[in-house]
Amino acid sequence: MSLLDATQNALVAAMRGSEMQQTVLTNNLANTDTPGFQPASVNFQSTLASAMQAGQSPTSVTFTPQTEANVSTADGNGVNAEQTSADLASNGLLYEDLTSVAAQREQILISAIGTG
Amino acid sequence: MSFFDSLSIAASGLQAERTRMDVTSENLANAQTTSGANGLPYQRQEVVLEQVGGNSFGTTLAGAMSNSAPPGGVEVAGIVNDPTPDQLVYDPGHPGANKQGYVSMPNVNPVTEMTDLIDESDSYQADVTAMSTAKTMFSKTLDLLK
Repeated sequence: MSLLDATQNALVAAMRGSEMQQTVLTNNLANTDTPGFQPASVNFQSTLASAMQAGQSPTSVTFTPQTEANVSTADGNGVNAEQTSADLASNGLLYEDLTSVAAQREQILISAIGTG
Repeated sequence: MSFFDSLSIAASGLQAERTRMDVTSENLANAQTTSGANGLPYQRQEVVLEQVGGNSFGTTLAGAMSNSAPPGGVEVAGIVNDPTPDQLVYDPGHPGANKQGYVSMPNVNPVTEMTDLIDESDSYQADVTAMSTAKTMFSKTLDLLK
């Protein structure tokens, strides 16, 4: 039996996904003025949910950025800067939630071991 | 992928937007320059941006090793001249005026430059925000170990 339970592993996997989402969204934002650039995003929640429903271990789930084809401007750039900034902010908050829950759970574990 | 990717991507965005601001300032400063380095009126310049890692060696290798190549940010592909023709202004007293009394003025429209400047500064701020979010996330990860 592993020291970390399935929930803790799922939290770590979600943090991995959120981190990748952060990188991809930052890249979208950096390319707001690049002609022909199409934004991408990582839909890590649904990937993780379907993997766990299928009985896959969260530690082995891999996330991939998906390109969203939505040309919005004349130069073929599909980045919506306002939406991307909002997504970045919510992803950052989600990551904070994930880390605080993971930290709390680790604290419980440390107390149980008797070193806390 | 790591947090440092986020930081360096945001930094590449900052650098690109600053280059655009530099060029916009250059255009504004030279809005009245009738005699540039080559003796001709100043030509408006424009920055062309491109995504980093379109087909570089590193990206291709990363793509071959795993399923997804990490995004690399943005870079300045080049600074090009705006081909719009010069504006002819009637000013017979100007030393650069032709026989009909017209002077070729640079193809710089201060209004366009000012709106560009707003756009650039907004994009710059967005990149700064993305950078500070990444920094907060990184420090939260370190807090896990407390």
